[in-house]
Amino acid sequence: MAWVALIPLLPALAFVVMLPMSRRARNAVRWLPAAATIAALGLSVAAFFAVLAVGGEEPVFRASFTLAELGGAPLAVGLRLDAVSAIMLLVVTIVAACVQIYSLDYMRSEDRRGWYFAVLSLFTAAMLLLVLAGDFLLLYMSWEVMGLCSYLLIGFWHEQDAPRSASIKAFLTTRVGDVGFAIGLAAMWASAKSFDFAVVLHGFEWTVPAATVVALGLLFGAMGKSAQVPLHVWLPDAMAGPTPASALIHAATMVAAGVYLVARALPIFHEAAPWVLQLVMAIGVTTALLGALLAVVQHDIKKVLAYSTISQLGYMFIALGAGSEIAALFHLTTHAFFKSLLFLGAGAIIHATHTQDMREMGGLRRSMPWTTTVFVAGALALSGVFPFSGFWSKDDILMVLYTGGHWYALVAALAVAGLTAFYMTRVCVRVFGGSEKAHAHEAHPAMLVPMALLAAITVVVGFTSPAFAGFLGEAKGWPDLGMAAVGTLAALAGIGAGVWVFGLGKVDTAVLKRRLPRVYAAFVNKFYFDTVYGIVFVGAYAHLSGWLARFDVSLIDGAVNGIASAWSKVSSVAWSADVRLIDGAVNGLAGAVTRAGGRMRTLQAGAVQGYQRLAYGALLVLLGASLLVPFVGTTVALAGGAVALLLMGVLVVRGA
Amino acid sequence: MSLIPGLLSAIVFLPLAGAVIVPIAARLAPGAAKWIALAVAAVGLAMTVVLVAGFDVSAAGMQAVTNVSWVEQAGIRYHLGVDGISLAMLALSSLLGLIAVIASWKITERAPAYFAMLLLLQVGMNGVFVALDFVLFYVFWELVLVPMFFLIGMWGGARRDYASVKFFIYTLAGSVFMLIGIIALYLSAGTFDMVELAAKGASGAFGIGFQNWVFLAFFLGFAVKVPVWPLHTWLPDAHVEAPTAASVLLAGILLKMGTYGFIRVSLPMLPQAAAAWAPWISVLAAISIVYGAAVAFAQTDLKKLVAYSSVSHMGFVMLGIFSLTAAGLNGAVAVMFSHGVVTGMLFLIVGIVYDRAHTREIAKIGGLSQAMPVTGGLLAFAAFASLGLPGLSGFVGEFLSLVGSWQSAVIPQWVTIVAAIGVLLAAAYTLWMVLRVVLGKPTETVTGLPDATPREIGMLVPLIALTVIVGVWWSSLLAFVDPAVRALVAVITKAV
Repeated sequence: MAWVALIPLLPALAFVVMLPMSRRARNAVRWLPAAATIAALGLSVAAFFAVLAVGGEEPVFRASFTLAELGGAPLAVGLRLDAVSAIMLLVVTIVAACVQIYSLDYMRSEDRRGWYFAVLSLFTAAMLLLVLAGDFLLLYMSWEVMGLCSYLLIGFWHEQDAPRSASIKAFLTTRVGDVGFAIGLAAMWASAKSFDFAVVLHGFEWTVPAATVVALGLLFGAMGKSAQVPLHVWLPDAMAGPTPASALIHAATMVAAGVYLVARALPIFHEAAPWVLQLVMAIGVTTALLGALLAVVQHDIKKVLAYSTISQLGYMFIALGAGSEIAALFHLTTHAFFKSLLFLGAGAIIHATHTQDMREMGGLRRSMPWTTTVFVAGALALSGVFPFSGFWSKDDILMVLYTGGHWYALVAALAVAGLTAFYMTRVCVRVFGGSEKAHAHEAHPAMLVPMALLAAITVVVGFTSPAFAGFLGEAKGWPDLGMAAVGTLAALAGIGAGVWVFGLGKVDTAVLKRRLPRVYAAFVNKFYFDTVYGIVFVGAYAHLSGWLARFDVSLIDGAVNGIASAWSKVSSVAWSADVRLIDGAVNGLAGAVTRAGGRMRTLQAGAVQGYQRLAYGALLVLLGASLLVPFVGTTVALAGGAVALLLMGVLVVRGA
Repeated sequence: MSLIPGLLSAIVFLPLAGAVIVPIAARLAPGAAKWIALAVAAVGLAMTVVLVAGFDVSAAGMQAVTNVSWVEQAGIRYHLGVDGISLAMLALSSLLGLIAVIASWKITERAPAYFAMLLLLQVGMNGVFVALDFVLFYVFWELVLVPMFFLIGMWGGARRDYASVKFFIYTLAGSVFMLIGIIALYLSAGTFDMVELAAKGASGAFGIGFQNWVFLAFFLGFAVKVPVWPLHTWLPDAHVEAPTAASVLLAGILLKMGTYGFIRVSLPMLPQAAAAWAPWISVLAAISIVYGAAVAFAQTDLKKLVAYSSVSHMGFVMLGIFSLTAAGLNGAVAVMFSHGVVTGMLFLIVGIVYDRAHTREIAKIGGLSQAMPVTGGLLAFAAFASLGLPGLSGFVGEFLSLVGSWQSAVIPQWVTIVAAIGVLLAAAYTLWMVLRVVLGKPTETVTGLPDATPREIGMLVPLIALTVIVGVWWSSLLAFVDPAVRALVAVITKAV
């Protein structure tokens, strides 16, 4: 089974090969990253069947590598192939392969496409390593490498301002979460002396306080990566990167890594204080609502999808808060496919219309029929319409909330379901409905084929719902008809409202803006998160840092220089008396130093003089101190040594 | 593989011979200086590689020991030896010493003197890490000051006089306190031998009152060198004015002498005092981390930014050391090593840019990824290594220091949290620098400048390789370090 290690290794090799060709990718190797990813996909399928054949929750493959020994205790990282990682491998490799193929045409005219494919491959390798990791340390390490790739791809067009600032914002915001992650890991090691899933998740006796600290730390990390409120602000900006990269990283895989982390660590969350899981749910509810509300008012098609991603990740957090990692992971899976499909569709639209603003689109159903078809399939899935995949996974989550008695979350989840259908209807109406505003053309087959594949998966994958749960070790039947009806009603209500408002134009949105100016302003300003962060964190930190830098020079260094010049004054009083005494010992030396130094400038002369006298003083102290040693030999050795060395230096310098 | 007797002495004193030969040979054959220096540094590195290869990682205690009487009346011995920690530092010193010579290849102003100073510096740096007799240790410690003083004062920038004298006095003032500490230990224990003193310290021979004030004396000596906040202001001045090679050695090796002193002297000889002082020192470490990062963020001079980042990184070393745990101490040594490699890389790259653009003003150098793609790419790589990206060496030590610090019985947990925020702040100043210097459109100053030459890329290659190797395969470094750490932790655990 050691071939499992090849799954992340193949894209990593593609990265190594592509890196030197970053700036001038030859056509001959363009297919290489895609080929490596497809090969990884093939191996992932094999891995899936290997797990299926064995069944059960035990991993079918484990490998361990001792990174270091700490005081004799081994610190190991390792790989682990079990049911969860097998599913994640499939999700990641399928989406990554689609994105790689799609990018071949999408990025065709970019100068630095070699760099793009190299980083995309490194990302894929890191994400695959993350889901194969058998311990939290390796997971964290690949997590950070993904963050690097995300940063590099967001800033792909770094000559422009927006991608540049979006890239640094993404890295730093997620790193806020990573501070928590790191502390969670430190606390994990302090308790369990291990990061291994097998140890910390099964069998280790957690105390409640320890588990609480660890769970909170991991949760904080997950919130950064999965763009949960209040660390969600980076994801909409991240849309400044190339759209296929957004599809893979900022929709399907990396942003879901936080959900994956919490799902993996859920046994620790169960050991923690009960309010931790309630917190997870509250964060999920807030995020799901906030994302859905803001998605409604965006004009940039990618921004709608970005806020939608935030909202859906919140949905997964709700499921995690209810303690169901299976519902969360199933929604992660279906979402990965339909959201990457939507992003690739949006990419095709942007490619064809040269705009991301939906107000400049319209009527594309005629010029881009295939893109329209697959995009609408994705939109229906996201809206939770039977039989598309989103229906199934959303239903699972609603059911979990219902059986768990989480009423406020259930109501919020239904509201989000309705809102989701509403804003996706808005997108479809704006982009595909109405009359054609600009000339567009259908996407290249290299782009259409991956989209069609994802659309096909989106149609069928929902039906695996019972099998999915069974594969992860939980018996589950077909959806409850009552809950299915309620969920479907929410979706249909959203679609109906969307058609009513945007399709038929029954509500004048301009009137709403006038009637509710404050509400409108709050929406336009994204509920003021960026504004507040800009003042409280970014602005304040820049001020503090500037102030500290001045403080460093004026006060701390000022004190140092002050001591030097004070010494200079003290010594100048005693100078005339001392000068004969010191002369013999150091004047010749000082002269030599001065001459050797050559051009002693008047610049900083006062301080230099102070320092010089301080030097002589220090030498005297040194000599005096060594006199304390009751052996003449030592004194000679120390004093003679110091003086001789200085003299030697002088002589060498002058001699040359 | 057994170790050749006298190998350590050869590693330490070969550069001294070189320093004597260089000025003489330069009279006979002008231009020979750098070649001799290169040969000496290369042979030194080769001998260090032999030493590393022959080092037995499974054995505890000192290896490659030479121990003969030197000044018999005073009980001063010529006692050299290495454990894994000193070996790591010695290897770093030998490597950076060679790279410093290569980085100085274009120095023409009084070249013989320059290279002689570089080699003399090498003697002191190597010596400090292998000396096991306090007098010897002190001599090497002070020896380092002299060539560095001249390197900054004669081949430095515009404010070199101020910077060099400040550096000299500040660190000399610190080492006076260290000398007092040495003498106090000698008067109490009757020996200068550091191994014996460590054994005495471990057995509880020194009372806690005595330990406390001797610890303080050593603290002042070492903390200036590290430097620990608020004793750090000599560092930015010295760095900015120093020529590139001196900056590399200053940050790469000289700062580590301070933290090495804590590990070699303060912890084993004065364990109870170390435990008593640890909470306070950890607070200073956390301040150094956060303060250094915040001040680095505001810098407009690229070299000063790197200098302040050193204050921040060395804070992690202090945090790891005074966690008094195995994880923390391993982490501290890992940061020491990695910071030497990565910051060396950063200074070399800044030097490459400065040689061409004649400025280090961040506002004037921008868009390097287009103007000088190789240089810009390497700078970005070094930056990510510096901010602690996993898979590169910077992560290893920072992470382990935090793990040790959290685990530590003597460090309050809020200190660890503050230190962990430093990881975020490191990303902030580093990426903000990358954004301005590497990304975007090239500025007027850097447009049309030639990219790094093969010599310049070549001197960075070993550092890049080490960054990746240590980052991926932690035990390539820590297998040497952990046995020494284990012994140290055992002493502290017993004493406290």
